[in-house]
Amino acid sequence: MSVRVLGISGSPHRHGNTETLLDAFLEGAEGAGAAVEKVVLKDLDFTPCQGCNACHRKDGCIVQDELTPLFDRIASADCLVLASPIYTMGITAELKGLIDRGQFLWARKYIAKTLSYSRDHQRRHKGVFISTAGQSWDHVFDGAFPILTAFFDITGFEYWDNVIANTMDRYGTIRGHPTALAEAGEKGKQVVRVIGKLKGEEAPPRGKS
Amino acid sequence: MPIKVLAFATGPRRHGNSETLLDWVQASMGEEPGVEIEKFALSEIRVNPCRGCNACETLNRCVQRDDMDMLHDRIVEADCIVFATPIYCMGICSQGKALVDRAQVFRSRKYVLKLPVVPPERKGKRLGIFIAAAGQKMEYVFDGAILSVKCFFHVIEVKDRDIEYLLVRGVDAAGEVETHPTAREDARATGKRAVARLREMLASPGAG
Repeated sequence: MSVRVLGISGSPHRHGNTETLLDAFLEGAEGAGAAVEKVVLKDLDFTPCQGCNACHRKDGCIVQDELTPLFDRIASADCLVLASPIYTMGITAELKGLIDRGQFLWARKYIAKTLSYSRDHQRRHKGVFISTAGQSWDHVFDGAFPILTAFFDITGFEYWDNVIANTMDRYGTIRGHPTALAEAGEKGKQVVRVIGKLKGEEAPPRGKS
Repeated sequence: MPIKVLAFATGPRRHGNSETLLDWVQASMGEEPGVEIEKFALSEIRVNPCRGCNACETLNRCVQRDDMDMLHDRIVEADCIVFATPIYCMGICSQGKALVDRAQVFRSRKYVLKLPVVPPERKGKRLGIFIAAAGQKMEYVFDGAILSVKCFFHVIEVKDRDIEYLLVRGVDAAGEVETHPTAREDARATGKRAVARLREMLASPGAG
């Protein structure tokens, strides 16, 4: 079975620097034989987390909208790629909207304790963060990383790598960046090879039992 | 001239822990003479996320028409801006992040169009208060949120050194902040300190 890669673009506008970088990653992954899907969050109709904590008492989220099936798709992906430009030192409100809605998974994992991912599961499921920032500061992505770490934790993905490019104001667009697109394509290929290899180990031929 | 305070409760849950902290700060400030406070709960008004269109870099205003229109002038006119948020998944809640990102119009005004965000004589005379409540107790649970909030305050002409922080860990369930050993007193002290600082700032001559 081919490796399933799900890319989610959290940018409010289409085909900007971050989505272009995501596309390069997904093309690389597809070239390596993966089944690739892309979801554009701005096209979905959803509300952010309401902070009601109902998921702490009863399983699941009481809000049912277009994020509901997306969480199922996340659960069936081998590689989850989350993409957001940096706005005001953080991810966009759109991607944060998706991430905050993951609270019901947090509740399953840490309150109800009905959800747990084995070390092996996490090794076979890789999370990648793709981002661009106009600012040149080295710490421009620092506010985003812990959020991604927390979300990959509750969705069962090992936080495998980032594809990030800052100082985008200097390059004009991501196409002017000397290395970012090539790096994204290469990492897309690489993650599929790594997961493919692990999946190969997944179902060993039946031994003598 | 009264001291004008503009407060935002950005969490989706009304009267949750971060809004309660805000109310305590507000009550403490409101006891002082000559302090006018206006509070908005983002869940009761409409502030859409930034569309990232960069039109504000040329138009000097946002292309979206929503409640940010009425907040814009209030943000400019306030002496003190209070931003309260719950921490969700290691960051500002999505609703609060939308408000932060919509401050892009001020960033464009300041850095692209090189126009003043506030009149020159009011620079250095604005105070920010950042209030956050987190369910988790990790030392670094507020770090990501602080990075974004500093930027928000920066583009609306509140200097880093003029931000007061009220950060409370380990409160998650509704009303839990009421049982926190020091939160109420800390909130009260934050309010008093803020008013004292504002009086000093506003009394000082010229730009700070």
